[in-house]
Amino acid sequence: MPEMIEKRRNGALWLGFLLALGAWLCNVVFFVNLPGHRAIPWLSVLLAVAALVFLAIGLQRVFGQPRVYRGKILSSILSLVSLLLAGVAIFAFVHARALPPSAGAPQVGQKAPTFTLADTTGQAVSLDQLFAPAAGDSQGIPPRAVLLIFYRGSW
Amino acid sequence: MAISVDPPEVSRALSQKAGYTFSILSDPNAEVIRRYDLLHVGGGPDGHDVARPAEFLVDSSRMVRWVNFTEDVRVRARADEMLATARGLR
Repeated sequence: MPEMIEKRRNGALWLGFLLALGAWLCNVVFFVNLPGHRAIPWLSVLLAVAALVFLAIGLQRVFGQPRVYRGKILSSILSLVSLLLAGVAIFAFVHARALPPSAGAPQVGQKAPTFTLADTTGQAVSLDQLFAPAAGDSQGIPPRAVLLIFYRGSW
Repeated sequence: MAISVDPPEVSRALSQKAGYTFSILSDPNAEVIRRYDLLHVGGGPDGHDVARPAEFLVDSSRMVRWVNFTEDVRVRARADEMLATARGLR
């Protein structure tokens, strides 16, 4: 029987792949430190979910209407790669937000707990000492404020 | 002032590599991190306990003037935001 229908390109699958790639790339953007970086995690999941929707449409086309859409093998490979990228993006989103509530942490208006810790040379430094004038400051002006940045480490 | 569970040697290497002019304090047993209720049990890359990211602006009377607890470890307070907040203190 002659082929009556001209085979069509499966745009949904490629769109799904591009969205999944975008979702994954969102995780690289954090290192650029853009002004709107607070929205990027949400953009990442949004792209990942949209990618999954288009992948489902694309796969449904290839396997549901094989007479119209070609490329079962290419579609499968593309879907697998896209699924991996979208999966990583969703996993990163969930993992990055798994943080303790820190309900007992000092809040605005409360006193910061005192401490004494070793600096990079092993010298003990207290919070009060941080408010002493800097060693190189000839005018002896003490700092008005100290910024304490707690970070995860292993950089 | 940055604080983590990294030992002084690791912090020194980071400071030199990144060219930081501020000091980094080490809290390897997470005593101060616990005091600030910031311990993230098993949150480290190899499952050790670390500090969850948090920033505090403390004035000379030791009063906390500004805090930031991120909901997502990938989203940290920007340096320019923190500097602007510090400059706005009176």
